[in-house]
Amino acid sequence: MRVGVFICHCGSNIAGTVDVARAAAELRKVPGVAFATNYMYTCSEPGQDEIKQAIKRENLDRIVVAACSPRMHELTFRRTIEKAGLNRYFLEMANIREHISWVGLDKEANTIKAIETIKMAVAKVMQNKPLYSSSFKINKRVLVIGGGVAGMQAALDCGDGGLEVVLVEKSPSVGGMMARLDKTFPTIDCSICILGPKMVDVAQHDKIKLYAYSEIEDIKGYVGNYEVKIRKKATYVDWTKCTGCGLCMEKCPSKNSYDYFNFGVAPTKAINIPFPQAIPKKAKIDPDFCRQFTKGKCGVCAKICPTGAINYEMQDEIVTEEVGAIVVASGYGLIDMDKFPEYGGGRYPDVITGIQYERLLNASGPTEGHIVRPSDHTEPKTVVFVSCAGSRDKSLGIPYCSNFCCMYIAKQAILTKDHIPDSQSYVFYMDIRSPGKGYDEFTRRAQEDYGAKYVRGRVSRIYPKGKKLVVVGADTLLGTQVEVEADLVVLATAVTAAPGAAQLAEKLHISYDTFGFYVESHPKLRPVETNTSGVFLAGAAQGPKDIPASVGQGSAAAAKVLALFSKDMLESDPAVAKVNENTCVGCLKCKLTCPFGAIQEKELRGGKIVASVIETVCAGCGVCTSTCPCGAIQLSHFTDNQLLAEVNAICQK
Amino acid sequence: MSLDKLKQIITDVMKEVDVVIGYKQGFDPLHATPCFITKPEQVDQVIWNPLCVQNLASYLTSLKKKVGVIVKGCDSRTIVQFMQEGLIDRSKVVVIGIPCTGVVSVRKVLEKVKHEPIEEVKFSDDGMVIVKTPSGETKMALSEVAPDKCETCQYPTPVLYDHLAGEPITSTKDPQSVFKDIEEFDKKSLEEKKAYWEKEFDRCIRCYACRNACPMCVCQDSCIAESREPHWVSQKSNLTEKMMFHMIHALHLAGRCVECGECERACPMGIPVNKLKRKINSDMKVLFGYEPGVKPEDKPPMFTFSVEEKNIEEHKL
Amino acid sequence: MSEVGPKELRIVGFLCNWCSYGGADTAGVSRFKQPTDLRIIRVPCSGRVDPLFVVKALLNGADGVLVSGCHPRDCHYSDGNFYARRRLEMLKRLLPFLGIDDKRFHYTWISASEGQRWQQTVTDFTKQIHKLGPLHSGKEAQQ
Repeated sequence: MRVGVFICHCGSNIAGTVDVARAAAELRKVPGVAFATNYMYTCSEPGQDEIKQAIKRENLDRIVVAACSPRMHELTFRRTIEKAGLNRYFLEMANIREHISWVGLDKEANTIKAIETIKMAVAKVMQNKPLYSSSFKINKRVLVIGGGVAGMQAALDCGDGGLEVVLVEKSPSVGGMMARLDKTFPTIDCSICILGPKMVDVAQHDKIKLYAYSEIEDIKGYVGNYEVKIRKKATYVDWTKCTGCGLCMEKCPSKNSYDYFNFGVAPTKAINIPFPQAIPKKAKIDPDFCRQFTKGKCGVCAKICPTGAINYEMQDEIVTEEVGAIVVASGYGLIDMDKFPEYGGGRYPDVITGIQYERLLNASGPTEGHIVRPSDHTEPKTVVFVSCAGSRDKSLGIPYCSNFCCMYIAKQAILTKDHIPDSQSYVFYMDIRSPGKGYDEFTRRAQEDYGAKYVRGRVSRIYPKGKKLVVVGADTLLGTQVEVEADLVVLATAVTAAPGAAQLAEKLHISYDTFGFYVESHPKLRPVETNTSGVFLAGAAQGPKDIPASVGQGSAAAAKVLALFSKDMLESDPAVAKVNENTCVGCLKCKLTCPFGAIQEKELRGGKIVASVIETVCAGCGVCTSTCPCGAIQLSHFTDNQLLAEVNAICQK
Repeated sequence: MSLDKLKQIITDVMKEVDVVIGYKQGFDPLHATPCFITKPEQVDQVIWNPLCVQNLASYLTSLKKKVGVIVKGCDSRTIVQFMQEGLIDRSKVVVIGIPCTGVVSVRKVLEKVKHEPIEEVKFSDDGMVIVKTPSGETKMALSEVAPDKCETCQYPTPVLYDHLAGEPITSTKDPQSVFKDIEEFDKKSLEEKKAYWEKEFDRCIRCYACRNACPMCVCQDSCIAESREPHWVSQKSNLTEKMMFHMIHALHLAGRCVECGECERACPMGIPVNKLKRKINSDMKVLFGYEPGVKPEDKPPMFTFSVEEKNIEEHKL
Repeated sequence: MSEVGPKELRIVGFLCNWCSYGGADTAGVSRFKQPTDLRIIRVPCSGRVDPLFVVKALLNGADGVLVSGCHPRDCHYSDGNFYARRRLEMLKRLLPFLGIDDKRFHYTWISASEGQRWQQTVTDFTKQIHKLGPLHSGKEAQQ
């Protein structure tokens, strides 16, 4: 065996705190190592050429690259050695950058740690076996989870690209948060006017199958072949019959149903179509408020419905769809106002959230676009906007910026002036964050052209005084205390992960951060991929983002799906479990613990029972290997002997 | 229990199975040995007394035929464990249970008589063992020479049987006492415990008798203690490798050991091999409320999980 | 081993590729400084970690072993860490019975985004091992 070791300087990233030349010299002494060198940038083209040439020149058959994390460049170097004629699994990487040079200051200790880490990689690579991928057919259908603007964009782009799309939306209509907005910054164009046509496209696209008011129940499978169970929640209205005429909504006697679409700004009917542009435009019953359900009698809608679509006996239905890739665009949530009792949201009716204010501004909203105070329906003259209500507040566990509040506050201040010319807006802000195209100009317009008074400082509390609300805050620029008597207070409540984000991630086997936002594969270079191949991200599910960014990601995710599906076959990962039939005793404990049902019982010709791995189903976790008492089932590339070689390389007393 | 009744049951069971496994007299009066009865005339060889120490259920996994097997209470747990792990086809096993009042530890008896040749062994009705050697008769209480497992026995009557030779007996032993020795040992200092095990395991000659006697060691000839693929232990005869072997044995039996004690009975060096497994069992009880080999419908805890583990708390540094 | 500096102890870490290994990468990218004693072995899942690897390391010269996987419910392979939790808890309780301080073995859950938590864990665990001192006297080295 002739192992070649290539130690990367990574400029000064590694060489700055690791003596790479000494490491190479030490490695040359290791039995089995035929060649060891250090190089400025091993991942560069000349760096990779150096490896290829050395393989030929030195007749190397195993390669160790000591550089950055294998999560960064393992694939790069696998390709390199493959081009030089070696099996790609004859590569091991020693992570001497992220795990060593960047985290330790002591060069001597770092160098020793690097030498040992490379020795572990050498020990492992000497146990490596050549592995070969097989190819499997893929199902070129895509599931898009979430019918907000990001999800719709992904669905439309995939559909236009010729793919069949299954779009699942949790609420009764697509449109998401954007459908609730009145105008959009920085152009002040009407949100539903630009979104509406897209929603109609989604409904009419012959490649898109829409499941509204449905949720993901379960996902099984792997890239190319997923089986998705979708729960179609009971609407108590047969949507094949409902024409969306709205007669039921008109006649429904239960008038105090919570309006989810309008964020409770005003009540709605127990049977309702969420908003005039809803897609699909179908009615649904809210059984928490419907008298037929709460009191056991009513039946008005059933009597009035001209098509006989009402069905009080309807049950949830589970349908199964098979797809090859998944785009997750499940959106975001908003923090509850009761998280900051000092602002009185929830207690004082005239303290509302930014999204509720959007509904007040909107012509199809509950007030038909008239700005009125929820308490007494009078027109407010002084409106105070409080930015960072929850955002950038470590004590609430939200250290991050919610991204778009500064911009929508400016927009709402402008719109307030438009609606009520004699009004005065105040904006309490921490910093104005407006780094998009035309954004900063927009926030200036709010101040300069529309007279919004911006006060730099936080609001400490809000209390009622007669019909007014007193907003107490600091002006940190003037260094004074400020009190504003407001008629209406709008809180820019922090963006959070969507409710149920974690549960969905668990079904998808993708990771999420401390805040519940989904984690992309690489923060810069793989922003819409996840670490689970075949699952892509779009929109605010990955982190707070505004409309253009969400749309961009929707298209980006669609491009990734289209690229994935440009081939008819995918290559399987050969790092799966393998059974040694000679030593397997057929106890089948591996079958008990396999999370994927990838292990079957197999009878050999002599009648001996052994375990057998279904390679396409095996995901490569290795739970079977640590279950098997006789070591007969081994996860390729992470076999007992490979891991033992690493342990032995550093544990020798 | 009368031997005649046992023989009658065997004769009946013979009609539906290919072989019945029981005990017969061994090479000397102190030893019983397993016997495989395939013909009616062999039934008379069968004996039953406190010398019938072997766990005959151990044979079940390697026999493909339909088998009748005689089990004591403790041995019956092996069958239940096999069922939990799907290692036997229950329809091919006829279990002949014997309510057991305790067996002897041959090793303890031999120590009492200073390893002299045994001429005769008798059991009195009042629970005494009378052993005759060239230097005379030695009388000892059965409880005095019983194996450790009998002292805390909770299952004198088999937990599962098709035929019971005798009347069921209920245990008089305190269930709280089962792991008392383990708890006592665990109270010692780390240094004491380390020294104890180093001393015990250093005597190991790696003969693998403990493993070979263990009914739950399913690997048989594929044991990783003697393999290079994977290569967990070398053939070096040092303490580290001996300890590694015993840890393999213990961890492979985690949540599976039915405490039949065959490992310790088989060990020629008198190493308390069962102790580690019993320690794990005591934890299985605490963590998962699980006791191996008691309920056929249970799942061995290491092959399953709960999303919320009630009794496992996250460890803080 | 000759290379171990006088101040360092031998600590082995088994890290799940999908979470904790990434968490250690995140800590690196953020330049979160850590003690240098730990040597990392990458595994696909904490469920791949046979407790015997921990035993092997501890018997053969390691002074401490750390296993880190995905938070319960977040396993890349759905259930791997649930099995790991049972097995590793069993081992943690067994070690003191053998005379090995259970503080020498720690298992925990760290996600790919938790660079700071990783730094804290490595720092605290290394401190803990240093407090306990070397596990091996080197007596057996002659054998």
